[in-house]
Amino acid sequence: MYGVSQNIKNTANIILKILVVAIFAFPFLWVISVSLQTDAEVNTFPATIIPKTPQFNNYVRAWQAGPFLTYFKNSVVIIVAIITIQMLIMIPAAYAFAMYDFKLKNILFSLVLIAFMVPTQVTFVPVYLMMGEWGLLRTLWPQILPFMTNAFGIFLLRQYFMQVPEELIEAARLDNASELKIVYKLMIPMAKPALATIILFSFVSHWNEYFWPLIMTNTTDVRPLTVGIAALKSTEGFVNWNTIMAGNMFLIAPILIVYVFCSRFIIKAFSYSGIK
Amino acid sequence: MAKIEFRNVTKAFDKNVVIKDLNLEIEDGSFTVLVGPSGCGKTTLLRMIAGIGPQTSGQVLIDGVDVSNVPPGKRKVAMVFQNYAIYPTMTVKENIEFGLKNNKVPKEQREKLINETASKVGLTEYLNRKPSQLSGGQRQRVALARAMVKNPSVFLMDEPLSNLDAKLRVQMRVELIELHNKLKTTFVYVTHDQVEAMSMADTIVLMNEGKIQQKASPEVMYKDPDNLFAARFIGSPPMNVCNLDHKGNKFGFRPERVDITDEYVNDTAFIMEGVVVTREMLGHETIYSVRNEEGITVTVKRLDDKWRMDQKVFVSVKDIKDIYFFGKDGQRIRENDNDYAYCINQLRGVKNEEN
Amino acid sequence: MRKIDKIKQYVFPYLLILPSMVGIGLFVVYPIIKVIILSFYSTNMINPAKTKYVGFENYIKMFNKVMFKKAMVNTSIYTLVMIVVVLALSLLLAVWLGQKSSRINYICQMAVFLPHIISIVSVALIFVQMMEPNFGLFNSILVALNLPTSRWLQSSDTALMSVLLVSIWKSVGYYTLIFIAALQSVPRDIYEAAELDNAGKFKTFYKITLPMISPQIFFVVIVLTIGSFKVIETIRLMTNGGPNNATTSLVFYIYREVFNNTDIGKGAAAGVVLMVIVGIMTVLYFSSLSKRVHYR
Repeated sequence: MYGVSQNIKNTANIILKILVVAIFAFPFLWVISVSLQTDAEVNTFPATIIPKTPQFNNYVRAWQAGPFLTYFKNSVVIIVAIITIQMLIMIPAAYAFAMYDFKLKNILFSLVLIAFMVPTQVTFVPVYLMMGEWGLLRTLWPQILPFMTNAFGIFLLRQYFMQVPEELIEAARLDNASELKIVYKLMIPMAKPALATIILFSFVSHWNEYFWPLIMTNTTDVRPLTVGIAALKSTEGFVNWNTIMAGNMFLIAPILIVYVFCSRFIIKAFSYSGIK
Repeated sequence: MAKIEFRNVTKAFDKNVVIKDLNLEIEDGSFTVLVGPSGCGKTTLLRMIAGIGPQTSGQVLIDGVDVSNVPPGKRKVAMVFQNYAIYPTMTVKENIEFGLKNNKVPKEQREKLINETASKVGLTEYLNRKPSQLSGGQRQRVALARAMVKNPSVFLMDEPLSNLDAKLRVQMRVELIELHNKLKTTFVYVTHDQVEAMSMADTIVLMNEGKIQQKASPEVMYKDPDNLFAARFIGSPPMNVCNLDHKGNKFGFRPERVDITDEYVNDTAFIMEGVVVTREMLGHETIYSVRNEEGITVTVKRLDDKWRMDQKVFVSVKDIKDIYFFGKDGQRIRENDNDYAYCINQLRGVKNEEN
Repeated sequence: MRKIDKIKQYVFPYLLILPSMVGIGLFVVYPIIKVIILSFYSTNMINPAKTKYVGFENYIKMFNKVMFKKAMVNTSIYTLVMIVVVLALSLLLAVWLGQKSSRINYICQMAVFLPHIISIVSVALIFVQMMEPNFGLFNSILVALNLPTSRWLQSSDTALMSVLLVSIWKSVGYYTLIFIAALQSVPRDIYEAAELDNAGKFKTFYKITLPMISPQIFFVVIVLTIGSFKVIETIRLMTNGGPNNATTSLVFYIYREVFNNTDIGKGAAAGVVLMVIVGIMTVLYFSSLSKRVHYR
């Protein structure tokens, strides 16, 4: 008796888990399905689950529906620029906060924490006006400059730097290593996991960013992929959902590929973002 | 008031069998210490009694009743964990009270029990503190009080003193012995430290690789080991063991039974010439290693410290009763065993070869 | 020589921090001050000379605006539902999927977390399509199951709940991961001690587990509150605030005032409201961090 009820429990457990996987993963299969349907299939009721003959042409149509090469290029340029600038600014700052004692340290560090908490939704109006005054609204700068200081990154990197044993740094000093050498030969290799996490978070959040570029861009030639894809909805109307979903795949695919290959690292990085 | 029995107990983690077909009886009211190197299965046995790591097959009986299907909270056992496992979010009082509350003990009785127990272990002033505000020794007492307050019929302790500093450990050892004398309940205590086992137990159960090597009182354990493992594990420094012949038979003797002399001594059970290669002066005693030309090293524990490094000496064991023989399977060969005479002869041979 | 060394030593850390402080100064501190200032002015974008100080007029007018009130109510409902549902669901999923590390549990975690790293643009487009009342998937399923269909995003009765459904679906995985990590950090022997103390499953959960992970629960509540009060993207993409302002949120209101009505004063005043809410949450969070030491 005991064994039988245990078996039923186990089966129910597995069925429920498959259901959970379906609820969270299905919409991404659905995008693929819709992106391959014919114009007629998209607009029938009840909805078509699997297209009869996959319409790969939809992807060509989507690509030609807007300057997608430009959007794609913009997204890549913005991300590379943001991550590079953040690294150059963040590493020295985190090093100083971890290794030196100076008068204004606590005040300046609380500024970093405030920057970490204040959302862009609070600051966008003045920043928009400022970018207008500086005449930068037709460039990519408004999408790059405001993110130059990564407060979360400084915070996390500082934690890692502080965990490097004091003796190790003293040993390096005794070996006559310069400050710069200590940072690049000792501290950065020790903080590799933190840097990987920071790059991951930056990549995910800026590749997906929609609100900020929506506000900061007035012309198509500076828009990133997200804004371009969202715009498909208005240019393609509500009829050509197949084209919209094909375009949507341009945005989903890169992240999905990264996720498939690094899911362990990604899940671990996000899991521990809440413990600090 | 409880006797514990293991009957053909097997424990496997996934496919990895750590204990196979083990039988053991722990007497009512005894202070039994399970001792052995790490990974020998001693903690696994303890957790079986508690019910928090149930056996894969076989039976565990407490007072003759099979408790295999009894949940841990209903077994009338209490456990002190290695890392204390105190609830960090509760005060000392709440920690002690938690089990009582779950067992629906009425409030006045709870208060009485808590106050009694707290004064017994010296925690009265700390009842309203959080564990994070306590020292290591105080946390240890909370864990102890939490176990005591339930008035269990079996006390289980999993290396409870390993996180304390040396001085406190010795003090707690005495307190635990006194506690056992007072309560007269069954204590099952797990440790990897043979000194702790020898000093506290009335019965030692020595384990290795999931098997019981010997179950005996500390005296018997020391004086009459069943096998090579028991002989080497109990005693510090460990017993000297040398090859008796080329078939794998061995003989051994304890460092504290060895004499050192300048000259050859007649009528010894064993004698060897060698050079003092190390000398550790420990205060009241000194430990020497003496090595002969063939590289055989004998450890000697002496009260005198007059022997110097590189000095040429003779080490000898006078009484044949102080020499233990072991077969190639590691089992002890005793006086009434058939091979004993052969062993004696071989030993004489060894002695003669030495000269 | 030594004096120069000392000055170098003194100035060096500030030099290292300077670039990061320029970023924070320009894009955090200055905007915060500027928003407050703007909220007291009536700004004229076309003729800056006509910009004038108006005191609390922007605030008074804003608080009397139907759309602002509607936005505040909507945002509050949205926040409350997010906190309750996401907290409950993610705790449940974490306990269920995190107790044993098996293959199926890991696949579940992977799936549940997936929506979190996909752009809200993609997610919104998918759900708008699935929630389409005439040929969308959701209504197709409802019809197949003989259940009444819904207008989803296109009716003011169901629009906010439909947006919430998407937000919950997208974010629950992240919090599940946080709780799984939290649960795994609770030492096993404490649960064993509780078992020996005859504590039932339910009692163990609310007397041991919940207090042990309370720092993470608190963290999640704060993050959810801030995250919900600043919601805009989902709304802008799925409903554009409609129908009939049924899904207008606080930040969407700011966006409308600034970019549709070019009323920067009112937009800034609403921005100050958001800032105050975020500020309170931040203070609560950091003051709890200092208390957390007790649990170690």
